[in-house]
Amino acid sequence: MKLVQEHRFLLYKVCRLYCFTEADRQDLFQEIVIQLWKSYPGFRGDSKFSTWLYRIALNTAISDLRKQGRRPSTTSTSEIPPSLPDMTWPGEEEQQLQQLYAAIARLSDVEKALVMLYLEDKPYEEMEEIMGINQNNLRVKMNRIREKLRKMTKEAAYGIR
Amino acid sequence: MELDSLKYVWRTLEAAPASESGPDEIHALLQRRSGGIVTRMRRNLTGELILIAATYTPAILFYFLDFEGRLSGIAWLFILLLTMLAVYFYRKNQLLKAMQCTGCSLYSNLRQQITTLKIYIKFYVWSGTIMIPVMFILSWLIIRWKFPAAPGADLFYQLSGTPWWQHPLIWAVFLIPVTVGIYFVNLWYVHRLYGRHIRKLQDLLQEMEEE
Repeated sequence: MKLVQEHRFLLYKVCRLYCFTEADRQDLFQEIVIQLWKSYPGFRGDSKFSTWLYRIALNTAISDLRKQGRRPSTTSTSEIPPSLPDMTWPGEEEQQLQQLYAAIARLSDVEKALVMLYLEDKPYEEMEEIMGINQNNLRVKMNRIREKLRKMTKEAAYGIR
Repeated sequence: MELDSLKYVWRTLEAAPASESGPDEIHALLQRRSGGIVTRMRRNLTGELILIAATYTPAILFYFLDFEGRLSGIAWLFILLLTMLAVYFYRKNQLLKAMQCTGCSLYSNLRQQITTLKIYIKFYVWSGTIMIPVMFILSWLIIRWKFPAAPGADLFYQLSGTPWWQHPLIWAVFLIPVTVGIYFVNLWYVHRLYGRHIRKLQDLLQEMEEE
């Protein structure tokens, strides 16, 4: 319980990335907490606690089917809102973050996980441990994602869809 | 948009909801039912098991206690069926237990889920298909064994009146098309239940494997 409390912001971020409504976020948060609770006895300390926590949170968010019907498709960008309406962060930095969330919403589930780990400043070794993808492949994927996000920002700026 | 320039913003601005989860709220979350797909599948399986036990147990007791025990053979056949169903439920439960490894890497977990789900689907389809002819033959055995033949009655009685060597042929003519039909119905149903999920997992795995 203490560990969940300590790392709750990380869990909120995962929920924000993968869910589009507050109700879905709450459901996902609950599911992650339950999975953490169930899996904790199996945590042997082979990896860092944060690595294990990311695995549980991302595995739960990605392989859970319940929200499919309510999730906009990652390939159909026309359905994605330009920003998430219930995020009320004022200021320039906050606006940047809103734009980032809006852009991330158009990525695939795997790409979302990679962006999150990258933004959390995780080294590629740890990303490999969490994702199970080798580092070379991770670097290639990250370059593609960066390019994709740049393109999306340009499209948004010039109103191109 | 440059990701690197957003790292600082991302890490300093916490994406907290309006009401933060305190220890009590987290404790309350743990009391609720999980909505995860595997947990729901296991819950449904438990429900099926309870339903089967609730249906078979009174029937077994009835045939043991009533008719002065003369129809206890039927009760034993029900026990045999119940044993077969117990094996079926045990195997399904084992597969569901092995389906998820949330503490593993995303790639390993996806692979494990896909492999186990495919075995689960195969087992679901085949056991559901085989159960139909087995149930027919057992029912026929019960009727043939316990009730005398009555000419002009339904298929079971008509079979009782024919020479024994014709029985396998009659059963084959009747059961093969039925079993094949049931197989395809099961296949359609299981893909309706899990097809979209397995496709989603396969797409994710393919995306992770792409260089």
